[in-house]
Amino acid sequence: MKFFTGNPNNRPANPHPESPVREPYLATEELVNAVNLAIFLKRPLLLEGEAGCGKTRLASAVAYELGYPLYRWNIRSKTRYQEGLYEYDALLRLHDVNLSQKLDDATAEGERAVDPSQVDNYLDLKQLGKAFELEDCPAVVLIDEIDKADLDFPNDLLTVLEEPYEFTIRETGKPVRAHYPPIVIITSNKEKGNLPAPFLRRCVYHFIEFPNQPEQLKQIVEIHFPPAEAATVEGQPSPPPADLVDTAIARFLAVRKQKGLAKLPGTSEFLDWLRVLAQFGVQAPYSAADLPEDGPLPYRELLFKLRSDWRQAGFSASS
Amino acid sequence: MKVNGVDGERLVLETFLRLRRSGLNLGLDEYFAGLALVSGAEGAIPFARDLDSLKRSLKSIWCTSESEQKQFDPDWQKALAVVQATGSDSRETENATPLPPRPAVEPPLPTPTGFTQPPSESVTENVTPSSLDATAQPVRAPFTPAEIERPSELQSYSPVSRRFMSYSWRYLRRTVEAGPAELLDVEATVQQTAQQGFYLEPVLRQRDQNQAQLLLLIDQNGSMMPLHQFTREVANTAFYNSGLPPEQVFVYYFQNVPADYIYKDVYLTQPEELKAVLAACDSDTSVLVVSDAGAARGYRRLERIRATVRFLTQLRRTTQLCAWLNPIPAERWSGNSAEMIANLVPMFQMDNDGLSNAIDVVRGLLVLPTPP
Repeated sequence: MKFFTGNPNNRPANPHPESPVREPYLATEELVNAVNLAIFLKRPLLLEGEAGCGKTRLASAVAYELGYPLYRWNIRSKTRYQEGLYEYDALLRLHDVNLSQKLDDATAEGERAVDPSQVDNYLDLKQLGKAFELEDCPAVVLIDEIDKADLDFPNDLLTVLEEPYEFTIRETGKPVRAHYPPIVIITSNKEKGNLPAPFLRRCVYHFIEFPNQPEQLKQIVEIHFPPAEAATVEGQPSPPPADLVDTAIARFLAVRKQKGLAKLPGTSEFLDWLRVLAQFGVQAPYSAADLPEDGPLPYRELLFKLRSDWRQAGFSASS
Repeated sequence: MKVNGVDGERLVLETFLRLRRSGLNLGLDEYFAGLALVSGAEGAIPFARDLDSLKRSLKSIWCTSESEQKQFDPDWQKALAVVQATGSDSRETENATPLPPRPAVEPPLPTPTGFTQPPSESVTENVTPSSLDATAQPVRAPFTPAEIERPSELQSYSPVSRRFMSYSWRYLRRTVEAGPAELLDVEATVQQTAQQGFYLEPVLRQRDQNQAQLLLLIDQNGSMMPLHQFTREVANTAFYNSGLPPEQVFVYYFQNVPADYIYKDVYLTQPEELKAVLAACDSDTSVLVVSDAGAARGYRRLERIRATVRFLTQLRRTTQLCAWLNPIPAERWSGNSAEMIANLVPMFQMDNDGLSNAIDVVRGLLVLPTPP
């Protein structure tokens, strides 16, 4: 059993080919512990926290470090739990039955094999199905924004995410059993109230706090803007000047402490803002001296997403 | 396994029991998960390396919201104190056997920093008198930290969760086939084709529609003031999560008793005549009244009862499907106007069961014996 350490350099030399690309992520000690608990107890990890503080990104970071593939399942209001397991295309199969008669038993149409007698041609495993099928390592499955789904969704999901990690494909009667229980990371914004109690009970819970210390934000900036010589990707931007980072952090934290904001900007907004300050426009990089404590904020459209907040920020910043 | 010299299994058990007592919804599965951490099995060691990491890990698997995580700390402290105290007790009893029986006293809370310090001696001093003259001793009651029975209740008043409300409203349905016939009935088409021997046309049928109508009457202001947040949630879930089309849900507000006029908004500024509202309803309209019926303050005013009777008679002429939801617990109805009104109309305490029953009543499923 491999555990998460929060250090991306621990990635194995031969990761699974579907493992995601490197994701700069700073995990707190508590978060690392929660991830490991989920791995150890084979339970889903439920993440809550402000919008934009890295709930979704964690899954890529875990998958990258452990070298496991990541399957991301975005939940919408109409999602049913079966959509995460498999899809069976009955219409295409029916179409192929007719087609194969016309084709005089030819078994290919362009690229696609036409063979309606093989049910597997019309069966498509989805995120959880794929994760169950992996034979050499577990997969990380991200179930994003589970609270968007219909009321019954989490309860339906429970039956699959429990021992013996198995489901049956109704169309073929074939059971699919997990070789390795997947590492399931679930994010929720609590938009439609609490999740059902039996579901919550099964989960390992962690609330991601906003990094309120300037040092933490600085660390985050450092891993998101690595120095030029260590850049892994061609054309990666050089890090913003240190004084700009410090001033921007101070200003940003002051904004978050402001009274009367309806929606606080999160880490992702901060990183976007900093990137724009450093690289966008004629005056880039923005000089730290132009970020005075009481002046209006530049590029406030990146930080404030509600009209009242946006206007308030236009008048003054620190009052 | 020993964690910092403390019996891990006992600590897990003690904490688990305490958390359950303070109202956390934990099952055996969760207990076994906790035990797995202190089992000393391979891979489990890092979660129980010391007391701090064990505490953090247990918190992650047992608490599923921020408020529950806050609740965890005091219970953990107490459990730790008990386990540490009894742990040292057993050692003492091995050395010197006959000890006077101890009163069942909960040892005092150790200071948060002193995990490793032995249990404080004050308890032992109290029970082993150094002199025989007990009366001369200053009498001091043993310190017992006050237990907060259910801290969760202080946080907010919500006898029924939003989720449960949404679920319950979904049971309020009266499906009727209505509208144009546009739904292909495959079975009937096959049947018909087989009967006729040739295919003529598809059999279509009408779509099912939920034609239930809900009229919510909500008491505002006065004694209902502290419950506004909650009653708003009732109205919101009925409106948005009930699955009923918005034009079939009516929410009106009143103060104390629905009089000749009721109001469309929470501030009671847009009046509408009760007669007109009732005229828009038919005998299949479900009516739910949310009001304390005087139970919050314990009044028994004849005017109020009389006015309520007048309203109920008027309502009964239109529909029999009505129920009363009272946010005040049933124990507090006796002796005031709520008790009287409960005799006239099915009245339910606002909790999970009460809401389900009330919805059954307004669906016409649950018929309560009404007094003559």
